[in-house]
Amino acid sequence: MTEVGIVDYGAGNIASVENILSYIGAETIRVATPEQIQSCERLILPGVGAAGQAVDRLRSSGLDQALHEAVLDRGVPFLGICLGMQLLADKLHEFGEHDGLGWIPGSVVHLSEAVGERCQVPHTGWSSVCGVSNSPVIKAGLSQRSEFYFSHSFVFRPAREADVAATFDYHGSLVAAVGRENIIATQFHPEKSQIAGQRLLEEFLDWSP
Amino acid sequence: MPFQRLIPSLLIHEGRLVKGRNFRDLRDAGLPHTTARAHNHQGADELLVCDIDASRDGLAPQSQIIKSVAAECHMPLCVAGGIRGRDEASVIMDAGADKICLTTTALDNPELVSDLAHQYGSQAVVIGVDVIKDQSGDYCLYDHRSGATVPDRNPLDWMSTAVDMGAGEVRLMAVDREGTLEGYDLDLYREARDRVQVPIILEGGAGTLNHVEDAFEAGVDGIGVGAMLVFSDANLVKIKQHLITAGKNVRR
Repeated sequence: MTEVGIVDYGAGNIASVENILSYIGAETIRVATPEQIQSCERLILPGVGAAGQAVDRLRSSGLDQALHEAVLDRGVPFLGICLGMQLLADKLHEFGEHDGLGWIPGSVVHLSEAVGERCQVPHTGWSSVCGVSNSPVIKAGLSQRSEFYFSHSFVFRPAREADVAATFDYHGSLVAAVGRENIIATQFHPEKSQIAGQRLLEEFLDWSP
Repeated sequence: MPFQRLIPSLLIHEGRLVKGRNFRDLRDAGLPHTTARAHNHQGADELLVCDIDASRDGLAPQSQIIKSVAAECHMPLCVAGGIRGRDEASVIMDAGADKICLTTTALDNPELVSDLAHQYGSQAVVIGVDVIKDQSGDYCLYDHRSGATVPDRNPLDWMSTAVDMGAGEVRLMAVDREGTLEGYDLDLYREARDRVQVPIILEGGAGTLNHVEDAFEAGVDGIGVGAMLVFSDANLVKIKQHLITAGKNVRR
């Protein structure tokens, strides 16, 4: 199996992602510099925590440009997880407004704004996910079980219906995954979703978009 | 609504798992990482691990043990015990925890809740509220370090304050039920439910399948299960099967 770069920009849960990838037999490397990203054949952008800080760190380290070059220019298979998904948006509305990477048109808003009513925030726990595209990665994830672990207060609203790869229900239908071409990104945590997450990650490791 | 969660609750003492009653009388309950592996395979929705040496004696978090447990957890891991500041939190998060649970350290220093919520996000900060009934039957806040109630602080007021400060989840522990196998304090849960808009995990007292079913019926977001898994013939597979048969909102 190929070596997978896990982008380390100081925004959490790297160890969880490493644990599960090592369990399913993948070789991983933490990548923290633009040079390291250049040599990766597959990339995962994890992330928990504050969006503003994450955006600043990606920019100040030059990782944003290196990711752009690897994923959008070279077509390296890419998986974003949780905050690593939200960062793909144009705009993130979290304690102010931040510019995201802009790979998937859309914005990230607070859950209560997205559902338009009083609801528990964060949405924490296991929810059923429904695949709505032909993404082989999402399909593999849903092949045995459809429940995934979520833990988030904000949610991605893509501008284009075609970029939605999966949905979940929380006071209405919300976006659980987005994707196009060589990009797939999940609001939920496959690395924390037992067998469903393992199937998704195994498929990502084999994926040749 | 997400599925209601079943969360095994483990206590670590001198490198081993232990289980007590009312926070006392500890008995050996096996090795942390092998137990975590078993719970993972049986489909635990999450795991809560409390390092009681770090909590009681002020020792540094045992990152090697947390690492060994985290490696077995293909589900979320919440770690509690002795998190006094950013240093301890970062050791625990780097070891592979997904959430940190603050209990007495947040009582000493409420700013810790907002500080860690700012750094890791609200979803990673759980406020632990230990509650005990006094002689007149009123709920009081309990401090396990002194073994006494905290005067002049209402537990549910404190819970609301901590949530306002950024805690994204509550772990509500009925100390006088802990380890007794006598059933959850669902009245406590109902009082707390009206006060906050974040998930509440209720713990203390699970002993039978019916106790678990009753808690699900009451609408808890999750339950901590401790002694029942260690000292009865129940396991997660059995509990889940019971809940599925009863038509409850549990993940298969």
